[in-house]
Amino acid sequence: MSADISMPILIVDDYKTMIRIIRNLLKQLGFEDVDEAADGSEALNKMRGRKYGLVISDWNMEPMTGYELLKEVRSDPSLGKTPFIMVTAESKTENVVAAKKAGVNNYIVKPFNAQTLKSKIDAVFAS
Amino acid sequence: MALIDDSAIRSELNDIADYIQSLRREISALQANDLRNRRIPAAGHELAAIVTATEQASNTIMECAEAAIAADLPDLAAYKAFIAERMTIVFEACAFQDITGQRVAKVVETLEHIETRVSRFADATGAKDASGPASDKEAAEVERKLRLFIHGPPLAGDGAGQGEIDKIIEDEAKSATQDDIDGLFA
Repeated sequence: MSADISMPILIVDDYKTMIRIIRNLLKQLGFEDVDEAADGSEALNKMRGRKYGLVISDWNMEPMTGYELLKEVRSDPSLGKTPFIMVTAESKTENVVAAKKAGVNNYIVKPFNAQTLKSKIDAVFAS
Repeated sequence: MALIDDSAIRSELNDIADYIQSLRREISALQANDLRNRRIPAAGHELAAIVTATEQASNTIMECAEAAIAADLPDLAAYKAFIAERMTIVFEACAFQDITGQRVAKVVETLEHIETRVSRFADATGAKDASGPASDKEAAEVERKLRLFIHGPPLAGDGAGQGEIDKIIEDEAKSATQDDIDGLFA
């Protein structure tokens, strides 16, 4: 199974530049329906108002981090199955293990390229 | 009743007075007010300017890339001219690197200035480091970073690469045992 290019995607990052980069890369992959949020709490509000096919989130944000967002999403029965990819500069092994235990579907370390983003999205929807 | 040795007391008091004088000289040499009122704010402004410059350059470069991708010109010559114009703008935007390099050098100079004075003060006074955070605010931030695994970007070679991360994510069996997780930290 491959990703549905018409699905809405939520990018969560506190840097506008990074949101713009990911938005452009997603556009090149065919994904046009892209929303954005500047931290975990804004993302959670948006997710409670709209069903997203995929969340792509940074880790280090304030006030709510991507890690806290992931745990909130996984503990909410109405959001719990939303595919979630962490895209972050936090590349310590303990971060990856913690994210995996919290239910992340994939993990991309910054800086990354279009091919990495594509392969991780493909992997999430193939599994 | 013991006799009071005036000369010994005078000597002690002189030593204390000398120490206080020396401490005052060292505190003065710290130039704490200059650091607080001028050098540290100036370094902060330099860092803010670096963030702004890199953001502006990134936006300019992305605008050019977006325009190039969206370009739909019927004839090849016009298309080439359009792309060449956009690429020139990209080259110009990359000039930020020179300016930000100079700004970084100024911030490094400030850090070295502070390091020199703090080191001299610590040596002169024999200062010992107190353990723990300096304020409740700092303690709360340390606790938050530990609890939420916030380290910031690692230096080269310090964090896991994408290949190592992929192995952790893809290997479903790894989530089963503590030994496996411990192995990742060995």
